[in-house]
Amino acid sequence: MFKKLIAESTGKSPWLFHINAGSCNGCDIELVSVLTPRYDAERLGFKLTGSPRHADIVVVTGPVTEQSLNRVLRSIEQVPDPKCIVTMGSCPQSGNVFRGSYSVAGPLSKYVHVDVDVAGCTPKPEAVIDGLYLATQILAQKRKEMKK
Amino acid sequence: MSHINLIHLLNPQHFPIFTIMLYFLGAFLIVLFGKNRILRNCIAFIATGLSLTLLILLVKPIMINGGVIAYWMGNRVPAGGYAIGIALEVDALGLFFGLLVATAVFVSCLYSFSYMSEDDNEPQYYTLFLMLAGGVMGLVFSGDLFNMFIMVEILTFAAVALTAFRNRVTGALEAAFKYLVVGCIGSTCILAGTILLYHQAHTLNLAQLGTIIAGNLDKNTIIAFALLFIGFCTKAFIVPFHPLAADAHGAAPAPVSVLISGVLTKSGIYGIIRLAYFLFQLMNLGAVQFWLVFLGSVSMFVCVTMALAQHDFKRLLAFHSISQIGYVLAAVGLSTALGASAGLYHAMNHTLFKGLLFLTAGAVLHETGTTDLGKLGGLSKKMPWTTVLFLIGAASISGIPPFNGFASKWLIYQATYEKAVETGNIGFAFVTIVALVTSTLTLASFVKVTQSVFFGQLPKECEKAKEVSFGMRFAMSILALLCILTGLLPNLVQKYLTQPAAATLFNVNKYINAMLGTGLPESGAAEFKPIGVWNPVNWLMLLMIALLAICIVAIASKYDAVRENKTEKVAAKYSLFYGGEETEFSQVGGGDLFWGFKHNWRHYFSFMHDLHSGIVNDYSLWAVVALALAMVYALIVL
Amino acid sequence: MDAVLNALRYLGYVLIFPGFLFCFMTGLLLAGIDRKLVARMQKRVGPPILQPFYDFFKLCGKKTIVPAAANKTVFLLAPLLGLAALVVLQLFIPVFRIQLHLGGASRDVADVIVILYLLLIPAVSIILGGASTGSPYAGVGLSREMVTVLACELPLVLVLLGVGRYVGRDTAGGICFSLNQIVDYQMESGSLITKASLIPAAIAFLLVIPGETGNHPFDAAEAETEICEGMLAEYSGAPLGVFKLSHAIKMLTMTSLFVMLFFGGVGAGVEHLVALMGLTGGAAAAVVTILDILVMVLLCIVVTAVGISLVHAVTARLKIEQIFKYYWTVVSALALLSLVLVWYGL
Repeated sequence: MFKKLIAESTGKSPWLFHINAGSCNGCDIELVSVLTPRYDAERLGFKLTGSPRHADIVVVTGPVTEQSLNRVLRSIEQVPDPKCIVTMGSCPQSGNVFRGSYSVAGPLSKYVHVDVDVAGCTPKPEAVIDGLYLATQILAQKRKEMKK
Repeated sequence: MSHINLIHLLNPQHFPIFTIMLYFLGAFLIVLFGKNRILRNCIAFIATGLSLTLLILLVKPIMINGGVIAYWMGNRVPAGGYAIGIALEVDALGLFFGLLVATAVFVSCLYSFSYMSEDDNEPQYYTLFLMLAGGVMGLVFSGDLFNMFIMVEILTFAAVALTAFRNRVTGALEAAFKYLVVGCIGSTCILAGTILLYHQAHTLNLAQLGTIIAGNLDKNTIIAFALLFIGFCTKAFIVPFHPLAADAHGAAPAPVSVLISGVLTKSGIYGIIRLAYFLFQLMNLGAVQFWLVFLGSVSMFVCVTMALAQHDFKRLLAFHSISQIGYVLAAVGLSTALGASAGLYHAMNHTLFKGLLFLTAGAVLHETGTTDLGKLGGLSKKMPWTTVLFLIGAASISGIPPFNGFASKWLIYQATYEKAVETGNIGFAFVTIVALVTSTLTLASFVKVTQSVFFGQLPKECEKAKEVSFGMRFAMSILALLCILTGLLPNLVQKYLTQPAAATLFNVNKYINAMLGTGLPESGAAEFKPIGVWNPVNWLMLLMIALLAICIVAIASKYDAVRENKTEKVAAKYSLFYGGEETEFSQVGGGDLFWGFKHNWRHYFSFMHDLHSGIVNDYSLWAVVALALAMVYALIVL
Repeated sequence: MDAVLNALRYLGYVLIFPGFLFCFMTGLLLAGIDRKLVARMQKRVGPPILQPFYDFFKLCGKKTIVPAAANKTVFLLAPLLGLAALVVLQLFIPVFRIQLHLGGASRDVADVIVILYLLLIPAVSIILGGASTGSPYAGVGLSREMVTVLACELPLVLVLLGVGRYVGRDTAGGICFSLNQIVDYQMESGSLITKASLIPAAIAFLLVIPGETGNHPFDAAEAETEICEGMLAEYSGAPLGVFKLSHAIKMLTMTSLFVMLFFGGVGAGVEHLVALMGLTGGAAAAVVTILDILVMVLLCIVVTAVGISLVHAVTARLKIEQIFKYYWTVVSALALLSLVLVWYGL
């Protein structure tokens, strides 16, 4: 019964940890707007946490600069399993307008496995919620696999 | 003939003098044969252990059967209406303090064996140590005022010498000097008071003085009261004498700190009780009650805030020591049966938990070479035993149930509030509030120590630290065990120890009769009526059930097992979260904690900071001012 | 035989009612209702009421990372100790007239003042757990937690002394700290909230509840945006879940304490109601018991709504020195006013 409850709950309570990897702040603001009364992602159980130890989903924004690379990787490493990595905006996926810059180390998928990409500059809140919802399903799947 | 003598010696009548003599004899023998380490330790062990045993044997005749031992040295009984001979008198109160002293001395002696083994001059250390013990024991058993003074002198000088024992430590000599100066002012007060009383009453016997002075106070005896009171206050380090204790504890070796806080301060409290309850019998006066309760409350509050501002482990403990003594004084000053019992209970607990805490501080000093809170940290992984013992002591002193500090503080809250309701005086209710808040402030202060010494991050300088030797852990464990037991069984402790002792305070004539055989009417049994309810054993049982159940659930649901193997990838995953940065040393030290509290009290703290100049002239001035105030107050109200 | 029965009864108390199971369900329910209410007050849809249950079980399914620098034993044991202490504490808070046989001659094991100090154990356990990690965020967090505890202590003490004096007026000692007797008193002479002199105390206690539970706006100790959840910064997986559960149960403890201290008289109404329904004997007793529990939970929800959710929704987080100042001036003054009024016979 206990295991069933856990399996049931894993997808319903995704806690977010947000990492800014050199973002222009556009995506950061948009992520917060997802939690505001208009879109209210909390009804799906989303919650922003302050520490990667509490997180299930890591949201990375920004093109992953050389400065931030190690810090992003370290923070992702500190998230306990099962975890999902979501990139938000085009920057972490392709580098967007920063592509080719000497200080950009991205895309993020070169270093860690990215579960969900939410494209756009910046993505609409609806798209973000959609992506995060997808991540919760992947999370539940990962939890199932982890038990095996 | 020798056979008869031997049996005669086993009469409990002789035990008090034996205990005193054992200490002094031990001190003497160590001077003679102390070069040999084993012999020296044996002598110290036997002297302290045997004294404790003898006193425990006295519990039955005195505490339970309610006897009083009056012992005239050389059988010089009173003649012609005057008690001139040297007398020892042991009633339940004296025995209670005697037991505290003997326990603290025994444990700190055990601790010293390994703690002091790296010091030079060990024989001198044990000599002074036993002198101090004998001095206090003589004080609490003495039946006349002049011998009390002599013992005060012995213990003061032994304590001064022991404070400066590690005289290479910075500040040791300075601390000893301060203590010497102000201690001497105190001793002089006691001597002057004694002289005044002798001049008035032509006797020094406590019981006889009691019959003569009580009820016929004149200006001389009132001045004598103030002098003696201030004299004993210096021994108990009541405010305004508290800075001395901080310096002395900071410099003295840990086992000596145990004696200074667990034993010496008790001698002061004992003196004040004897003085106010027995000699002058003033405790039924509201003004005197107010005096004691006020001093006690001020001590507990001022010293706990002083402790919060400290950044040295032992100085912090020293201030807490006086804060707890404040509790004792306030409770005893209520002059109710419950209050006296609660105060004595707290005095006992103070000896136990404070001893334990000083010993753990000693262990930390022994391993790391420092007690500066800013330089320590993370020792819990290196010294797990010490950490657990420290936590027990810290929980006890902060009044966390079910440890002993809570049991007695809780009685004190009740006693003060009951007194407030009985007299209709809301002032006593504020004492309850101060006591309750002080208890939480104490907790805050020990959270600070826990965080900055035992938890938090391990600095490089402390990496060589390891667990202390078995001997030291054993000594600390005894005290920890006593802390738990006296907390869990408050009813037994009260019934067999504190209530008999407290009852003597309200039956002074019994003391006088036992000494002089005057046959004064004795009052009936004192009534202890606590209002609260607290069954620590039941609570612990429930907690254990709950904890067990939760642990079983936790283990069954693999609370622990899902943890990954640490050796996999140690680097990033298991390092601390620093917002993504690499781990670096950043200990949140003692000074940074409780900023939110200190900020609101900044004016108070800066005022206290300016006040405690550390200059001995100032402290002497305080002593004189306190004496003057005490005299004026006494002359006005008595 | 008696001993076995006793042990079983204790086990029942601890595990089912009013112990672990009850605390678990009601506490998380309260937390869920709180989150929902706050969301509604902010014109959001809000999470489902069962959200705290999901959170708890999800955390149980996560892996636990013990930082290399932490003291493993303390790190893992602290949450469990805090939870156990809270669950046991809940046993001492009466549910109107429901009798627990916890041993001993009197009905109480611990009175209000003891409960005040037992409340420190969960706080200390979270402090120990946080300190054991060595994280600087935890260091800052525990400092703030301790100051919050200190801040709440003074008004709480004043409230309890006032209540103790008021209820004990007619008894021999003049003081009454036994919670059971306080509830009994209210059943006879009306809830304490209706007594003019105790209304300031009730308001003070209501204001203490969010501070004591560490809820917004008094959650400087666990501020997730500035100090990364403070003491919980390094906790993950099941231990974190246990801490979250403890937090929820503490909401139940504080609100039910408030209900019993100031709304104890409601229990008498329940009995009247059952008498009106015409039930007698065993059936009546059973209905009274069930209604008592329901009424208490209902009142707890109301207190949560007013004392925690409303305050949460309309305020921004205070700084730690503001928390301390607020409690030691405004709230303490209210409580002190009550104490003085009670003292002089009002």
